[in-house]
Amino acid sequence: MGAVTAPSERSATTLIAAGAEASVSGPAAKPMPAWEAYTGWVYLVVLIPALAVLVWLPSVASAYTVTLWLTVLLTINLASSWNVLSGYGGYVSFGHAGFFGVGSYIGALLLYYDKLSWIPAMIAAGLGTSLLALLLGYPVLRLRGPYFAIAMLAMSELGRIVVTSWSSVTLGGDGVYLPIVRFQRVKEGADWWGRVGVIVHNNQDYYAMLVVAILAVMGAYWVGTSRFGLELLSIRDDEVASQAMGTRVVRVKIAAFAASAFFPGIAGAIYARHVGYIDPPTVFGIIWSIRAIATALLGGQATILGPIIGAVGLTLVSERVWASDPNLFQVVFGGLIVLVVLFIPGGLISLLQQWGALPRSRRI
Amino acid sequence: MRHDVQSVSTGQPSRSTRRDLVRRASVLGVGLPLAAAMGRAGSAAAQSTPAAAPKGTPIKIGASVSTTGSNGRTGLYQQQAYKLWESQKNAAGGLLGRPVQMVIYDDQSDPTTGSKLYQKLITEDKVDLVLGPYSSGVTLAAAQVTERYGYPMLVAGASAGEIWQKGFKNVFGVYTIAQEYFKDIINEIAKKQGYKTAAIMYQDAVFPSSTASGANDLCKAAGINVVVNEKYPINATDVSSALTKVRDLDPDMLIGGSYLPDSVLTVRQAKELEVNCRLFAFSVGAAEPDFYDSLKQDANYILGPSMWEPGINTEGNAAFVADFQKMFKRMPDYHAATGYAGCQILEKAVTTDGDLDLDKLREELGKLEMKTILPGEYKVDGTGKQTGHIPLTIQWQGDKKVIVTPDDLKDGNIELPTPSWNQRKK
Repeated sequence: MGAVTAPSERSATTLIAAGAEASVSGPAAKPMPAWEAYTGWVYLVVLIPALAVLVWLPSVASAYTVTLWLTVLLTINLASSWNVLSGYGGYVSFGHAGFFGVGSYIGALLLYYDKLSWIPAMIAAGLGTSLLALLLGYPVLRLRGPYFAIAMLAMSELGRIVVTSWSSVTLGGDGVYLPIVRFQRVKEGADWWGRVGVIVHNNQDYYAMLVVAILAVMGAYWVGTSRFGLELLSIRDDEVASQAMGTRVVRVKIAAFAASAFFPGIAGAIYARHVGYIDPPTVFGIIWSIRAIATALLGGQATILGPIIGAVGLTLVSERVWASDPNLFQVVFGGLIVLVVLFIPGGLISLLQQWGALPRSRRI
Repeated sequence: MRHDVQSVSTGQPSRSTRRDLVRRASVLGVGLPLAAAMGRAGSAAAQSTPAAAPKGTPIKIGASVSTTGSNGRTGLYQQQAYKLWESQKNAAGGLLGRPVQMVIYDDQSDPTTGSKLYQKLITEDKVDLVLGPYSSGVTLAAAQVTERYGYPMLVAGASAGEIWQKGFKNVFGVYTIAQEYFKDIINEIAKKQGYKTAAIMYQDAVFPSSTASGANDLCKAAGINVVVNEKYPINATDVSSALTKVRDLDPDMLIGGSYLPDSVLTVRQAKELEVNCRLFAFSVGAAEPDFYDSLKQDANYILGPSMWEPGINTEGNAAFVADFQKMFKRMPDYHAATGYAGCQILEKAVTTDGDLDLDKLREELGKLEMKTILPGEYKVDGTGKQTGHIPLTIQWQGDKKVIVTPDDLKDGNIELPTPSWNQRKK
C-alpha cells in the first residue's frame, strides 16, 4: 500500500522552493481547458446545487434513502480525512477505524451518562479523538511505510480492546444503548416553518453529518491549495529533503494527524447517535479503515474531489450490490480495490485528467 | 446462498386453471417464475384441503435475520421457519384472505446493519408488519427503529432481559428471558445433586453475558459459591486461560454463557485440559443438533436450556416438525420453533383484530394469551416480557438429546455426575 502514489508530478519540494502556487502540470499534460482559471466558480456552480439537493432530500425521500446518503456523507468524512494524512502526507493509515470507534464511544457515552446535550457531545467527540491523536502522533509518526501502517492497525485494535475490557465505563461488550430520539409529527395546520422544524428534528443526524462533511471538504480544499498541503506533499516525496528545505516536519505531520482524526471522530459520534446502539466490534471494525482507503483510492488520493467522487460512487454501488447479495458484495468490493490499484493508481480523477476533462490543478 | 428479498409464494387452490395462475401472478406483480408457482401450487393442493385462494395485494411482513456472520448457523433456522410459515399460509388461504409476502434480509450478524435493514423494510419496502431478527444485539438495534415508527415486533429470536428494560412499547417476547436460562439447572438439578461450587464463563456480548449474570444471581440465591466468573471476547479462538483456572479450582459445575461456536470450543479445550467438573452446561449450543455433530460423544452428559424440542406434545408441533423437514431436509432446532411461534402469535393477533392497524395490534399483543408450538403459553407482562413460556433442560445421552426438566415434560432421567474425561469410553 505504501507504494501507491499519485501519478508523477513535479516534486512538491521544488515547488515550495520555487514558491509555485497554482498548478502542478506534468510535462506530457494536455492543454488546459479554457475554464481552468475559473475553477473556483465552477465549484460554486456545481456544488451549491448539489448542496441544495442534499438539504432538500429529507423532505421528500424515504428514511432509508436519507440513511443511505448519511452513509455517503460519513464516507466523505472518513475518506477526506484519510486523504489528508495518507494521500497528501504519504503516511498510509490502516487505523482510521480506531478514530471512528473512539469518536463513537466518546459521543455515545457522553449521551448515555447524560453529561452533555447532543451537539456539544458530538463536538467533544471530535476534539477528544483529535487530542488522542496528538498524544499518539508523536511516537507513531516516527515510523514510516509499512511500520506506520501496522502501528496504526495495532492502535485501532488496541482501542477496541481497551473499550471492550474497560466495562465499568464503556459497558464493555454489551454495547452502549442510546436514548431514543422520537419522531415528531407535523401538527395539523402547521405553517411552513413548523413543517421545516419537524423535518430538521427528524433528521438531526443527517444534517449534522452534512455540516461536518462540508467542513471536511472545506478543510480538504484548504489543505489542497495551501502551503500546508505542499509541505505534506513534500514530506510524502522525501521527508529528509523537505526538512532540509525548512519544512517543520514534526509539526506538520502531527497537525495533519490530529486533523485527520477529528472528522472520523465526530462522524463516528453522529453515526452512533443515528444507529442508537453501538458495540466494540461494530465501530472498531477494520471495514471502516478499508472503506476510507478504498474510497480515496477509487476517487484519487491527494486530490480534493477524489474522496467525494469515490464516496458517492462506492457507497451507492456497494449498497446496490450488497442488498442483492451480501457475499458477492465483499468480492466486488475487494475486486474493485485490486483493479483500481493495478490500472488506475491515481483514481478516477487521474483518469479524467488524462482524458483532458479535468485540468491538472491543485484545486481539483 | 442468496438472502435477498424473498419472492412471493402464491399458494393456489387445487381447481385453479393455468390461466388463473397467470392472471393472479401478474395481478400481484410478482417476479416469480411461473414454473415455480405451478410446482408449489401442485404440492400445496396435494396436501391441504382446498381453501379459498388468497386475494388482493399481499400482506408484506418484513424481517432481517442473520444467515451469515458469527450467528448465521442458528439464524438460518429462524429464517427458514419464517419461510415455512409463509408458504403454509399461502397454501391455506393467506392471512385475512390476502397472500402473505415475507421480505427477509440478511444482517450478517451485525447490529448496525440490522438497524438499517429495519429502516429499509419500514420506509422503503413499506411492509405492513415486522417480525424480529436473530440475536439480542441485532434486536436491540432493530428495536430502536421499530419503536420510532411504532411497529409492534415479536421478538422471536432474542431473549436478553435488557430488551424489556428500555421502556419500549413495541417489543413482545416469545420465550423466556436469558437471565432465567439456567434456572432449572441451578435450582433443581444442582440442588438435588448437592453441588456447592460453580464456574461461569461467558462471551462478552449482550445475550451471553445476560445468561451468565442470571446464572450468577441464581447461584447466589441457591447458596452456590461462584469461584470463577470470567468473560472472553467475541470470536474467541482460545479460552484455555479461563479453563486452566477452572481446572485448578475444580468447581462442581461449569456454566457457559455462550453461542454455538464458543460452546463447542469450550468443550474441546476442557477435554484437552482435562477440566473435570461434575456438570457442564451451555446457554446456546448444547441444544443444537450441530453441537452433537461437532463433538460426537464428547457432547455426552452436557446440559443446556432449550426453548423447545421436536418431541414435545404441543398443539401442531408434530405437523411443524414434519413440514419443516419436508421443506428444508433437516430437523428444526428451537430457533426455528421460536421463529415459527412468533409467526403463530402474529397471525392470531392480526386475525383477532381483523385488520392491520398497528395500534390495535400492539394492544392485542399485550393482552393476548395463547398456545403455540412452544411449551407453556404466550403471555407477556406490561413491558412485553414473556412470562408464560416454560423452558426445558436437555442433556445429551448417547447420541440422543433427552429432556430432563421440567418433570411433566421430561422424557428421561438425568445422568450425573459427569465422569472425568479419561474414564470415558473412546
